[in-house]
Parts: sequence; structure tokens; C-alpha cells
Amino acid sequence: MRLLRKKINIWYLSSFFISIVVAIPIVTVFSSFFETTSNYSSILKNTFLYEYILNSIILLLGVLFLTFAIGVGCAYVVSFYKFPGVNFFKWALILSFAVPAYIYAYSLTAFFENFGTAFSILKNIFGEGDYNSFIPKFDGMIGAIISISFSLFGYVYVLTRASFHYQSQNLIELGKNLGFSKKKSFFKIILPSARPAVVAGLSLVAMETLSDFGSVSFFGVSTLTTGIYNAWISFDDLALANRLSFYLLIFILGLLALENFSRKKAQYHTTSRGGFKSKSPIFLSNYKSFLAFAFCFIVFFISFLFPVLQMLYWTIIFPKHFIDLNIMKLFLNTMLLVFFSCCVLISLAFISNYGNRVSKSKVLESLTTFSVSGYAIPGIILAVAFITFISWFDNKVISFFEIDTIKSIFIGSILGLVFVYFIRFYSLACNGIKSGYSKINYSIDESSYLLGYSKFKTFSKIHIPYLKNSILLIGILIAIEIIKELPITLIMRPFNFETFATTAYVFASQDLLEAAAAPSLFLILIASVFILVTSKYILKD
Amino acid sequence: MSENFLEIDNVTFAASEKNKVSNVSLNIENEGDVICLLGPSGIGKTTILRTIAGLEKVQSGRILLKNNIISSRNIHIEPEKRNISLSFQDNCLFPHFNVIQNIEFGAERNLKKKKDLNIHEVVKFLHLDHIINKFPHEISSGEAQRASLARSLLSKPDLLLLDEPLSNVDQSFKEEIQVKLKQILNELKITTIIVTHDSYEAFYLGSKCGIILNGQLRQYDDPYNVYHFPNSEEVVNFLNRGILIPAKVTGENSLENEDLGTIKGNFIKHYPKGSDVQLLLQPEDLEHDDKSNLKLEVVDRKFRGTNFIYTLKTLSNLMIPVFVHSHHIHQHEVDEKFGIKRPINIDHIVCF
Repeated sequence: MRLLRKKINIWYLSSFFISIVVAIPIVTVFSSFFETTSNYSSILKNTFLYEYILNSIILLLGVLFLTFAIGVGCAYVVSFYKFPGVNFFKWALILSFAVPAYIYAYSLTAFFENFGTAFSILKNIFGEGDYNSFIPKFDGMIGAIISISFSLFGYVYVLTRASFHYQSQNLIELGKNLGFSKKKSFFKIILPSARPAVVAGLSLVAMETLSDFGSVSFFGVSTLTTGIYNAWISFDDLALANRLSFYLLIFILGLLALENFSRKKAQYHTTSRGGFKSKSPIFLSNYKSFLAFAFCFIVFFISFLFPVLQMLYWTIIFPKHFIDLNIMKLFLNTMLLVFFSCCVLISLAFISNYGNRVSKSKVLESLTTFSVSGYAIPGIILAVAFITFISWFDNKVISFFEIDTIKSIFIGSILGLVFVYFIRFYSLACNGIKSGYSKINYSIDESSYLLGYSKFKTFSKIHIPYLKNSILLIGILIAIEIIKELPITLIMRPFNFETFATTAYVFASQDLLEAAAAPSLFLILIASVFILVTSKYILKD
Repeated sequence: MSENFLEIDNVTFAASEKNKVSNVSLNIENEGDVICLLGPSGIGKTTILRTIAGLEKVQSGRILLKNNIISSRNIHIEPEKRNISLSFQDNCLFPHFNVIQNIEFGAERNLKKKKDLNIHEVVKFLHLDHIINKFPHEISSGEAQRASLARSLLSKPDLLLLDEPLSNVDQSFKEEIQVKLKQILNELKITTIIVTHDSYEAFYLGSKCGIILNGQLRQYDDPYNVYHFPNSEEVVNFLNRGILIPAKVTGENSLENEDLGTIKGNFIKHYPKGSDVQLLLQPEDLEHDDKSNLKLEVVDRKFRGTNFIYTLKTLSNLMIPVFVHSHHIHQHEVDEKFGIKRPINIDHIVCF
């Protein structure tokens, strides 16, 4: 009891409160098992549920396979070999982060559809002809897999490249010493050593894929996420929507647990002192150098240049849509959300991490870990859970005290929107700062205390200055996510409040893909600028 | 209330069950005294320092600094309020500050305090001049340790705790730093507890030494007594500066060993005639004499600069260390015979 009293201080309480707030939607999802669902539940069970699950699995496997192949392939080539353009590709390949899967889907459709861009190109070169019959169509499941993969492979690429980057030359020399061929060294030494990074990248891809809404709904693929949306929008059955989210969550946690179990006790740490020898990349001969260049260029072209050029092409040939667009307003709206969300997320994630650090409480640590697992919950569910919670709170608590309704403060407002962003992206901010903190030995804090500095001064004089690069990086990662974010913004935004993402979606959902081009293009360009600013840090960390 | 500057009263120090030092009682009587704690690795020496600094809580007992309780079961003054500085064994410099900023960060505390210590003087004596603008990741572990020591010194604490302060420092600077450190601690009257595994360092720097073995403070005394009058076989074995050989007490001032014969000297503790004892024989207790008829076989020879330590094998296979000045007229090779002066006279006889 005495120890508990000592542990509970302002930092502990702040951290505890933040974690509780973030955990509310997760608890809501878990508690769905105790709620009654509508008839739609039994209808769904007898009809589409298995299709949803099957489609989700096919989508997930397809995306994981493609992102693994592209992400690890690119990371390997740029980390271990020297060829023309390698330094350019190192950062250019992360530009794919700027293209959300739904905009990629628009581009894919626009290019390959009947009488689309591919048709126009062929017609201009070869004259009139029946090109539609042999231009491949990437729609449905294939379209969704390609769109999501090329939009998300960057996670695997960035994390695997960082891991390869920090792999010691000793490891490679060890392979040579044991008489391994390059191929054998890659599969027996290099790739297994990068396993945690690859898995971390694939986990992020898996979570994003399973919660993707924009591209699957565009291609008409029914997954658990669209099922959740239908349960809520069409049948007003929040409990069922939550239950489906629970399946999603369990599915993801199961995958992570499986990987953890299969890894057993193997450790993958790289010691920073001693034993590390930086790599000397291998110069490739002409033919191989061309192949490496071609591989990276094709990935860069398909993932980034292709959607940008498609959107640019449409913006140019349909200038009316571009002229009608109030770009400045959309830009300011987007930046307003980015600014407020970054401030809230970074400061609260900072406080939460510091609270965990100073209190060293197992309870608090578990609560924080639990609260960050909300990253796997689709944005739609978070938004709906938040609206439900506010309505409940308004009806039960606020009305009891006979105060004015708070619904208008939190629903359909910037405040509410930023609040749900906070819950959705909290894990990104929290884990980012946690990763920065993991590099500060705890005895650094102790040294500061012993020099007479209080906890607050240690926080402000030591931690914040030391972590400023991490803060910048996290801020920009959050900005990129918020610029691209769609479902939460769609549901929570104030009336007539538009961002580039919502404008593009609204046009696309009305089958006005050419009108969606200009906002999509701007969205990609702004996100690209943010990525370029931080590419140095992203590639490092 | 006691009049001691620091009083550790029956305290159990524990970071974990494995790392526990129980029922420790020791005092530092005067401000400015320097004491050293010696013990094998992992015994809990660092835990003692961390607890005194307030980074760990005591399990029992109490710690008083200047007559104020700073740690007990019910009282725990936070580390930042104790004005106790701890210099860690590992590099704990703030990574985003360069060396001089790290040192100045420590000096910001107690700016008004009388103890006047010039930052440049400290930087100079610790040989940090050439690295003051470097960042912690750009310097060696020995340099980081010295910078950390400078930071702690300049924070002008009431009590300075040094955890293996010179363990990574180059041998070439070590002695010079020890001399200067002792001088500064004395001049500024900074009360200090030094943890070390180097007994010579402890004997030089400390006015008292505590030996921690098997979770207990086994001996707490001035260095001369710890070396010459160890109070247990455990302390003898830990200091490793002599061996215990079997002997029989033959009189008020004599005993008999079957290999060495009669040994004379003053017993520090009375044993009845005829008692079987273990006699502590230290390298300087025996004298070399080429003309002696007591010859033992040389099995090893260690050159220590100022002296040699010969290890000699007796007929009953005891290995006896003998100190010989390195300017001795000739050296003895391994397997040669080595003469021991008789009769053997030892200044003080320590037996167990």
C-alpha cells in the first residue's frame, strides 16, 4: 500500500487517464459479446459472413505476399548493392507512402478501364482499334490486392532496410566463411536476422489491410470491414459492427502471437558497441546493375509515378474540376487537422510514456500496451464507438445534471474529429516516443535526479531536447496518416468541412473519377513533401 | 541523535533477493572522510550506493545524513532532494550534451555553495581538455567515466558516491588521477564513498575500508588493519594477499609448521598452547636468504616492477608467496631452489 501510494503521482495519473481514454473503444469492441444484436446477425451468419471472412483472408494473404516480395526485394537490393541511382531509390521508394490505397484504386481503374488512359495511349500511337478486349482489367479482388500492396509495401521496405542497414558486415563475412553462396547467405543469415523488422512491417501491413475501407469498397469486395460498415450504416446494428471488429482484432493478435511463438527464444539485437562493422556494398556488373536499376525503377514507377501521372493527366485534360476546386480552403482544412492532431497526440503520448517511465508500474504498462492495440480497429468503428459513447454520456450523465447537450461539441466538430484521430493514431505516437525512450538508458534519468533536477526538469531539460528528432519524425508520420485518412474524417467532420481526402472520395463515390483527380494529386504532393522532409530519419529508424 | 556525518544503522540493501546485503551498520564520523567499499562483482556494492542515493528503498533499518533520516521503512527522501551525487560506473553522460555541457549541467546545482571548485581545474586534472567539445558517443569509456566524475565533483554534493570511478581509466592516468582526486576530496572536504574491486585503490583513497562478502559487511576498519589484521578467513581469501597454512601453537610467541619449522612473533589473539590453527602468511612475512638451509622449490615468479612475488612449493605441497625486492642481486628461475631466512620472525601473527 505504501509503495502504491509512492507510485501514484501526477505523471502516473495522467498516463493512466490517457490510456483509459484510448482503451474505451477497444473495451467497447470486446464488450460487444455481451450485447444483443439485431436479426441481421443471424442473416449475416447464414449468408455473407463466411464470404466476408474468406475475402478478408484472401485479401490479407495476397497483400502480405506482394508486400513481402516487393518490400524485402527492394530493401535487399538498395542495401547490399551499388548501382546507378541506388541513392535516389533509397528514399524514392518510400514515396509510395504518399499514395493512399483508395487513390491507387482510382488510378488503376482509370488507366485500365474500357476507354481509359491505356486505351487513349494505344489509340494515339496505333490509331483506332478494339484495344478494350485485350487491355487487362484490374478490378475486384485483384485490383484491391494490387492497390493496397503498392500503397503499403513501404512499411516492409523501410523497416527491413533499416534492419539490413544495421546488420554488421561480420554477418555477411560469416556466410562467406562458411562457404555459402549469395543466395544461401540471404536465406540462411541475412533474412532471418532481419526477421523482427520484416514481421513488424508485415504486421502493420496486415492491420492496415484488414481495416482498409476506401479501396475494397471502391472495388466492391466484401470484407469484414465493409461488413462492419454495412452492419452500422444499413442495419444500425452497432453491437454486430463491434463484434465483427472483435473478430478482426483477434485475427491480428493471433497472427502476432503465432509469430512470437515460432520465434521462441531467438534474439535479434545488434550490439551497438564493438563487433559492428559497417557494410561495403557490392558493385554490380553492367548487366546485373541494369537489372537492379530496372527492378527498383519499375517498383518506383508503379507505386508512385503511375498514380501521380494518371491523376496529373486527368487534372490537365479536365481543367474544369481543377478550377472549381477551392484548393486553399482544402489545404488549410487539412493542415488545421494535422496541426491540432499532432499537438494533442505528441504531447499526450509523451506524458503517457514518461508516466510509465517514472512510475515503473506493471499495471500502467499493461494498460498502455492494451490501449495501443487499438491501431488494429478500423477507423469506422472508432468513429461509431465514439459517437455512441458521447450519446450515452449525454443521455445518462449530462442530462442528469441538467446541463446543455455536449453532442454538438463532440459530434460533427473539429474537436470530436481530432479526438477520434487521437484514439486511432495514438499507437503510432506512443510507440514512436517509446522507441525514442528505449535509447535513453534509465540511469540517465537517475543521473539527472542525483544532480538535483526534479522529474519535471528532467523531462523538459533532458528528454524533450534529446527526443526532438523523434518528435519531428513522429509528427510528420502522423501528418502523413491524417492527410490520407478517410473513414473517420468522413464520419466525424463538421458539415461542409472538406479535406483533399474527403473531396476525392466524394467525387469517386459519385463515379466522377476525373473530378477526384485534382484533390488526389494535391493529397499525394503534400504527403510527398512531408515524406521527403523526413526521409533521412525514416530510413534511419 | 548520533553525531556522525553519515550513519547507516542496521540497513538491509536489496535490489533483488539475489543482490542483497543484510544488516549493514557503518558510520562516517566526520565531514570530508573518504571510505571505500570492497567486494567481489555482483555482491551488491552498487545497490548500497543506489540506496544511499535514494534510487532504491531500504528494506529495513535507517540511513541518516547530517542527523536527518533520509531513508527508512517509512521515510524516503527523493534523490533530487538529498544533495547526494552518484557517479555511475557506466557512461551516464547526457547524450545530447557535449562533455563540457554535461559537466556544467552538474555545476548548476549549488552555485551558491562555499566549496569552491574551478571547472577548468577539474577538467585539467581529469585530462578532459581535448574532449570538452565532443559528444558522449565520440569518446572512450574511460573518458566518459572521467567526465562523469567531473560532473559529480562539480555538483558539490554533501555526499559523493563513486561507483568504480576509475575502472575504465587508462593505467597511465590512473595513479595521477587517484592522487589529485584524493587531494581535491581532502581540500574541499567532500565526504565520499567509493566502491571498487581494486584493493590498492581502496587502501590509498579510503580512510576506512569496508569488505562486503556473502551478503554481509564482514569488516570495516582502516586500510592497514584490513590488510594486516583481516578478521576472517573469508576476508583473507578475498584480499588474496597471503595464504593460510596449518600450524600448532607451541608457546606465548611461537608456533610450528611442519615445512617451515618454528615461526616467532606477536599473536594478536591468544591461543592456548597445543592449539591447531591456520596461520596467515603474507608475501612480506618471509625473507629470502640464499645461504639458508630451508630451501623450497620455485613454481612461479611474478614481476611487479618494484618487486618479484615468488610462489614456492613446500614438501607438503603448500604454495607460499614470498616478496623479493626487484633489485635483489640475482633472480631465481622456476624449478630452482629458493632459500628462506631462519628463524622466521613475523611482526604480528594472525591465526584462525
